[in-house]
Amino acid sequence: MKIGIPRGLLYDQFYPFFTRFFTELGAELVISPQTNKSILDMGAQYCVDEACLPVKVFHGHVCYLKDKCDLLFIPRIMQLYKDEYICPKFCGLPEMVINSIPGLPEVISHPFSATSMARLRQWAMSSASRITSNRRRVSAALDAAANEQSHFKTGYDDQGYPIKVALAGHPYNIYDTFINMNIKKKLNQLGVGVITEECVDEDDMEPEVQSLFKKPFWTFARKTYGFIAALAANQQVQGIVYISSFACGIDSVIIELVGDRTGEFPMLVLKIDEHTGEAGVDTRIEAFADMLERSVKLESNHSPHGQCVYRCKSPV
Amino acid sequence: MKVTIPHMGNVYIAARALFEGLGVDYVIPPQNSKAALEIGSLHAPEEICLPFKIMVGNYVQAIEQGADTVIVTGSCGPCRFGEYCEMHMKLLKRLGHQVEFIVVDAPKAIGLKELMARISRLTGSSPRSKGQKWHALAQAVRIMRLLDTIEAKAHERAGYEKVRGSCKHLLRECRQEVYRCKAPEKMIKCLHDYNKRMDEIPCDNSARPVRIAIIGEIYTVIEPFSNLYIEDKLMDYGISTKRLMTPSWWVGNTLMSPTRLNSLSIKKASRDYLPYNIGGHARECVGEAILSWKSGFDGAIQIFPMGCMPEIVSKAILPTIARDKDFPILSLVVDEMTGEAGYITRIEAFVDMLERRRSHAVSGY
Repeated sequence: MKIGIPRGLLYDQFYPFFTRFFTELGAELVISPQTNKSILDMGAQYCVDEACLPVKVFHGHVCYLKDKCDLLFIPRIMQLYKDEYICPKFCGLPEMVINSIPGLPEVISHPFSATSMARLRQWAMSSASRITSNRRRVSAALDAAANEQSHFKTGYDDQGYPIKVALAGHPYNIYDTFINMNIKKKLNQLGVGVITEECVDEDDMEPEVQSLFKKPFWTFARKTYGFIAALAANQQVQGIVYISSFACGIDSVIIELVGDRTGEFPMLVLKIDEHTGEAGVDTRIEAFADMLERSVKLESNHSPHGQCVYRCKSPV
Repeated sequence: MKVTIPHMGNVYIAARALFEGLGVDYVIPPQNSKAALEIGSLHAPEEICLPFKIMVGNYVQAIEQGADTVIVTGSCGPCRFGEYCEMHMKLLKRLGHQVEFIVVDAPKAIGLKELMARISRLTGSSPRSKGQKWHALAQAVRIMRLLDTIEAKAHERAGYEKVRGSCKHLLRECRQEVYRCKAPEKMIKCLHDYNKRMDEIPCDNSARPVRIAIIGEIYTVIEPFSNLYIEDKLMDYGISTKRLMTPSWWVGNTLMSPTRLNSLSIKKASRDYLPYNIGGHARECVGEAILSWKSGFDGAIQIFPMGCMPEIVSKAILPTIARDKDFPILSLVVDEMTGEAGYITRIEAFVDMLERRRSHAVSGY
């Protein structure tokens, strides 16, 4: 039995869990390759127009896999933490894919809630039903997978660079080096190190999140807001680079909240979609890096808007 | 304290009745207009959805007229509407307006005690007795329901009326007259009167008008300004329309949702295509498409604001329904840039197509 797992959306965060789980069940895995031009094109061709880039890319990965496997695994990730959600598109992802791409093999798409072990077990039992009926084996596979995931660490925390920025955004925008045009490498080459939210202690983020009027009900919003607000408040970084996919609903909220919290703190919002041109991205990153470099040298903060608001305060 | 509310269809009429009944000072913002939307587009984040922008315009215009407290509902469905209150508060503060928010959120999210505390901030400023307050609320709900009934009748009968435009005219007159009466009792009397007059509009019951269901995101289907008055346009074409989403449906659905017994028929209808609640009203949209197909409508029009997360999912599903059930569905995306001419062209083409389907005997007529 060949199970296809698309390398899209939260795959980079949860692949240890999903791959281990299905391998333990004795299934053969087919995993789509890193995102490339043809995958992106296929995604843009089949996916509903209004969807964001990562969802289109996911469609592309499914297209790649559809003739290469007997069973297709589309994670329907509903909740990762209690009383929090991901994004409506994640909850309806299997429906989007099934109704957009013709000729799919059978799909495993049971709701995945990681709020408790019991809910996970529920998911495991129903997801494994097409592969094995041995409940003990499923249980063992789940434990092994959960164990594997708990040892898995991801995230960037560069050391030894003169300038450091917070690299924020949804994980699939940060870790998919094709759709973000390997922005980390570009920044590193300009002498800018990055830190991502996985490398910041959640306890540091918590007070910032608590200061909001309403606790964000999206996991992405809570983490990203807490991450940026905490780092900016402690001046641990010199700037923020936010990778956001065009028309992302959650980002439109986070960026507004973060902008309100950090005020004049330098922030570069890079919008990516299937048309993004690399030259424009390069220019913007270089300009941002230049600005940060000068503000470090001059020991004064430069306005991110181009107006010299700190002139009178500058010691130079 | 001078309270205000954002616009959403006819809600302002019921809100006026409630505030009158409670005896609190209030401001109803000017009707939604390009001016309100321009204020909103200027200050709101670029990629936020259309309702947010229009609401910013409402608040700013109401504040100009002296409002200092905003009453708004919250939600924790994983759609952006739940974050509106937080963002609106920060945005208005940044613009230099001193305004308080009373966010009526689900007790599940904030606790029953907090909810009562928030509501009592409104009711506390009312000089009326407890019984009178409940009475005012009951009357407001009644007014909302009557308004929704009259509106639904007008939209349905527009396809059958003998004199084209009589339903639309009466509906407009009704809104104006009701708003003119101040006391809730008078409003109810006036609404009953118009309800009766709506029934008496001369109709040709042998007519077989094109029937279209309006489905999609709740704000953009209810608020006529945001959908460029699509229902009025369809009434002009002599089309009978139906829309399930109304403010009174929303109230009933929200109150019933903890019991999970809300909108059972919609849940059942959507089971084959979207069996889970994914947030917003995506599931309702899919369910309504199926239900309207079952009740013999000619087609459906889905409306949602650009970037609406739940409706993007339903938009991906609707073509399959259209194919499976041979039921045409048109998706219209609206935002502050929507041009009216292109919008009308698409609606007209859709209506023409529905009419021709009948004459070409492809739809089983």
